[in-house]
Amino acid sequence: MKRLATYPERCVGCENCMLTCSKTWFKEEDKKLSRIRVIQSNSGYEINVCNQCGICIDTCPTLAIGRDALGVVRIDESKCVGCLMCAGFCPTESMFTADNKEKPFKCIACGICSKECPPRALVLEQD
Amino acid sequence: MIKVNGEEMEWHPGMTVKDILEAKKFIFPMIGVWINDKPIPRDKFETTVVNDGDDVQVIHMISGG
Amino acid sequence: MDKMKLLTKWEYKPVNIYRGYAGRTLYINISNFSFQEKPVSEDMKEKFIGGRGFGLKLLWDAVKDTTKWNDPENEIVISGGPLCGITQYPGSGKCYTVFISPLTEQTYDSNAGGYFGPLLKFSGWDALEIQGKADRDIIVFIDGDNNKVEIYESPFEEVSAVTVTEALHEYFADNEEDKRNISVVSTGKGAENSYWGCLNMSFYDLRRKTPRLKQAGRGGGGTVFRDKKLAAIVVKKRGISPSSNNPADLATLQQVGLKLHKEIRDLDDQQNRMRKVGTPHLNEIMNEYHLLPVHNYKFGQHKDAPKIHSKIFEGIFTQGIPDGCWYGCSMACAKAADKFELKTGPLKGRKVTVDGPEYETCAGLGSNIGVFDPEWIIEANFYADHYGLDTISLGTGIAFVCECYELGFLNKEITNGLELNFGAKDDIMELIHRMGRGDDEFARIVGLGIRRMKKIFSEKYGAPRDVLENIGMEGQGLEVSEYVPKESVAQWGGYFLTLKGPQHDEAWLIFMDRVNKQLPTFEDKAEALHYFPNFRLWFSLVGLCKLPWNDIEPADNAIKYKGIEAAKVPEHVQNYVDLFNAVTGKKITKEELIIQSERVYNFQRVFQLRLGKGTRKHHNIPLRAIGPVFPEEWEARKDYYDNELKAAGIDPENLSTEEKIEKLQKYRLSQWEQLVDAVYKRRGWNKNGIPTIETLRRLGIDYPEVVEVVKRHLKPEDEWES
Repeated sequence: MKRLATYPERCVGCENCMLTCSKTWFKEEDKKLSRIRVIQSNSGYEINVCNQCGICIDTCPTLAIGRDALGVVRIDESKCVGCLMCAGFCPTESMFTADNKEKPFKCIACGICSKECPPRALVLEQD
Repeated sequence: MIKVNGEEMEWHPGMTVKDILEAKKFIFPMIGVWINDKPIPRDKFETTVVNDGDDVQVIHMISGG
Repeated sequence: MDKMKLLTKWEYKPVNIYRGYAGRTLYINISNFSFQEKPVSEDMKEKFIGGRGFGLKLLWDAVKDTTKWNDPENEIVISGGPLCGITQYPGSGKCYTVFISPLTEQTYDSNAGGYFGPLLKFSGWDALEIQGKADRDIIVFIDGDNNKVEIYESPFEEVSAVTVTEALHEYFADNEEDKRNISVVSTGKGAENSYWGCLNMSFYDLRRKTPRLKQAGRGGGGTVFRDKKLAAIVVKKRGISPSSNNPADLATLQQVGLKLHKEIRDLDDQQNRMRKVGTPHLNEIMNEYHLLPVHNYKFGQHKDAPKIHSKIFEGIFTQGIPDGCWYGCSMACAKAADKFELKTGPLKGRKVTVDGPEYETCAGLGSNIGVFDPEWIIEANFYADHYGLDTISLGTGIAFVCECYELGFLNKEITNGLELNFGAKDDIMELIHRMGRGDDEFARIVGLGIRRMKKIFSEKYGAPRDVLENIGMEGQGLEVSEYVPKESVAQWGGYFLTLKGPQHDEAWLIFMDRVNKQLPTFEDKAEALHYFPNFRLWFSLVGLCKLPWNDIEPADNAIKYKGIEAAKVPEHVQNYVDLFNAVTGKKITKEELIIQSERVYNFQRVFQLRLGKGTRKHHNIPLRAIGPVFPEEWEARKDYYDNELKAAGIDPENLSTEEKIEKLQKYRLSQWEQLVDAVYKRRGWNKNGIPTIETLRRLGIDYPEVVEVVKRHLKPEDEWES
């Protein structure tokens, strides 16, 4: 299964990943449209990104969520009705919503953000 | 003696909110408990001790949707 | 299935849904196959909102004062409401069906989940109005993708919900996935032979690969459906999106919906376990509180109740499937038993998916008739759906029959061989099959309902009418739903001071009244019987299910709010205000929400009056509903009832049980009259239960034709002394 692994202890909070992600997938630089979130914590930074656990798959009423050939959990937007149950039930709160987007979005392990991460806190992994 | 929803009830030292609910067979899960006008969170029912003379209100929410 | 024979076709122009409304309703006359597009005015939206409100308004305009349930003029009106079909908030797929009822002979409104309401609206119609009677069984198909309505000759030899629904999902779908874009309204053969006919509304379950049935169960809508020779109504609409309602403020819909999903995720397991068990979580709770109807409401508890404990149904229901009956319902209480092998009847041996049972079915077709066998209950549930019979009326009705049998008012000759004691599983199941087949005279009489059974049992079989009146649990002609109301004066009102009959749509006040002791005076009870019916009935105007209102509550609800305020679940009420404003663009408040509902409440009250009902004498209450009737009921809770007598200022010492019963009945009947007075006063009605002109004016429903009905019935002696 392919996923974006995170090493928050290496993170320096530059936020390149968030801006790159939203630029890539939503064509605008907006942290609220990023599929990865970096938040400052007491001890440094926390990184919230989908770990491809797949719990959301069973919450979807239209079978819009499934795994692709590499095991990555993907939303078929043509089937998604924007009920947001996947976002509501995600155990890590890694399914994101935005005010101006009708449907939720999540990390699909494309790895583009990891290329923009200087301290290599983000690594695309395959097991 | 304590009062539970206006009715008198026998009290014993160490009596907890959970003891009251069990004695009264109040098994409905959606319950609010107030002791002398102070609310008691549900996760504290087992550990909250009731004192002699307390006025206890066990509010069942509405059921039967 | 072979190609169906097309009888007529009607094309319409598409519309854009705007702020929750299509802006028009569809009228179909199936006597002459005429179609009409009726515009929805701003006043109609303002005063009637949608859903049940629209249904009542359209029905009012369509019928005469003298219209009977089986006249061609009677209608079936189905409508969702402005919030119907949003995808973000749990419980957003409900629609109401309004009609004149064969049981109550006045308006009835029945709600169902499933996809019909949303798909109808998104096909371009705020309501579907069907009038007339066809000359043969027909299927009405609303093709929302191609903007046309088609009427087909029904190919089905026998109209039964499960087979018809499955066949029509298959017929109209392009492929497996397309089946979720279809919803079918159906009933069954039992509805042809009984006044307890229900309507089933389907949605397609992609995981189980089968249609699922939700019921607009009560009032005999299925009976009207078959009387009109409707076999099915089908709607199809592809492309449901998060903004199909074109809401004013999508962001708020998302925020409020997401908040509820997380609340359910975090708290449902510790609260009512709706996702695991659904409404049967109530089985053991009602039993504990003496509220589970046993043996025709004689008792509220039974030693065998553990056999129908919710844990048992949890083991039977398939877990881990999103069981919402419309998109976005994370309450997910539409549980089902899968691969259930039927042991009796026309589908014996088949492995089926059974929708339910709900609590009401566990109690009605269970404890109330003395059956504590979960598998029997599931099979009875299946056949009730398949035959198109309301499980509540069926349960309460059969409970009445069983008691009559045990009292010797009926015998094997009358029942055509059935020994209908409480708990007689096999014979009761056979009775249900006979009701489904329609080939048995006694079964046909049972299916006319308790009110007519009382008349027939006394006139035809010599049963003592007064005893039947005392034990027949019906109000306004409708069977009581499955909670024992005896010990709560407030719930007497909750059941028997309703618009349409004793169902708990309006009020469920038993805990508030008897356990919490929050309604000590008649004025307190009247206040609760004003607020809660109005709040709860608001859901019927907008297309929402009320279960997510109070079957889940915020973690701090019982801490932040006390008493009756907590029971209102204020944060959720605010959610609904926010949802309404977010879809419609209006700016209502919590207070206005109540007035919206109170308006339609009073309109419906006048409608009942117009149809010859709607006055104090029609708010009847059987003695079994207010206390023990026979000594065994008293003796089962002797200390409790002796205390009740003492609390009424009567000393039980030296009284026989019969005397005690009589004295308590007399006392409680006087309490009932005081309750009726207090409630009518609070509602702005006169002593006869008729809304005053002042009330109509205040609510803005003083239309000339409404005032005219009321004026005919107002008498000076019915006014309150100032």
